[in-house]
Amino acid sequence: MIGLEHYLLLSGIIFSIGIVGVITNRNVLKVLLSLELLLAASNLSFVAFSKFNGDYAGQLIVFFVILVAAVEVAIGLAIIVLMYRRLGTIQADELKELKW
Amino acid sequence: MNMPAFFFCIFAAILIFASLAVVFARNPLYNVLSLVLAIFCLSSLFMLLEAFFVGIILLLVYAGAVLVFFLFVVMLLNLNAPTFTTTEQSRFRLWGWLFGLAFLSETFLAIKSFLAAEVTQPSSIRGTIETIGQILFTDYLLPFELTSLLLLIAIFGIVSLAKGAMGTGAKAGENQ
Repeated sequence: MIGLEHYLLLSGIIFSIGIVGVITNRNVLKVLLSLELLLAASNLSFVAFSKFNGDYAGQLIVFFVILVAAVEVAIGLAIIVLMYRRLGTIQADELKELKW
Repeated sequence: MNMPAFFFCIFAAILIFASLAVVFARNPLYNVLSLVLAIFCLSSLFMLLEAFFVGIILLLVYAGAVLVFFLFVVMLLNLNAPTFTTTEQSRFRLWGWLFGLAFLSETFLAIKSFLAAEVTQPSSIRGTIETIGQILFTDYLLPFELTSLLLLIAIFGIVSLAKGAMGTGAKAGENQ
């Protein structure tokens, strides 16, 4: 029988993979993709808790997280395209100046 | 082994494999496509948890819209440029692995103590459109309306970024 702990364990594994990706990748696009993994892992634990506690609030929070993630991705990709046009690269190390 | 456990194992295995590919694949196109696969598996797990509405929204918004954004940007930027396929790793590589392993072991410990404390049974709630919509438009009406404001601000931000890019792009062209 699949219990809450299995879902939480899966969520923890995905979150750890996402953390490794966010910190070790130099490509900004891959960092943004790993950030999506972090959000997906937390969404999974929210839905699992919602199911096992009998409360709809977890699913509603997931709904809002998806909306905010869509906004974040739109702005982040716009900044990546700008960065590529300005610097000619999308390596995070190349961002050394505060003002363009 | 009963049917839900069987499906959970399959989708969990594909999810872990796909998220490893998201992080470690060299080609950005494969990163994005494996994230599509991961989101699909996540949506299937939501279906197993009977969160139908959220699962469908995840599939539509993520796999349908957000990841098409990603694909669009990967193809807009020059994919064959050497900067994309570089294998050089960050100087924070060690710290990344350290933090990841620390978080994973912490999760193990937390779940172990959780298991010792109590064993919960799944409730009978079903996240259909009807039940979620009823709560969304009564108890959570204010946050729901505020997300529309957030989307509006995002549109303003992107338009102003794009206009700034046009201005500076012209300037950069003059310099060249």
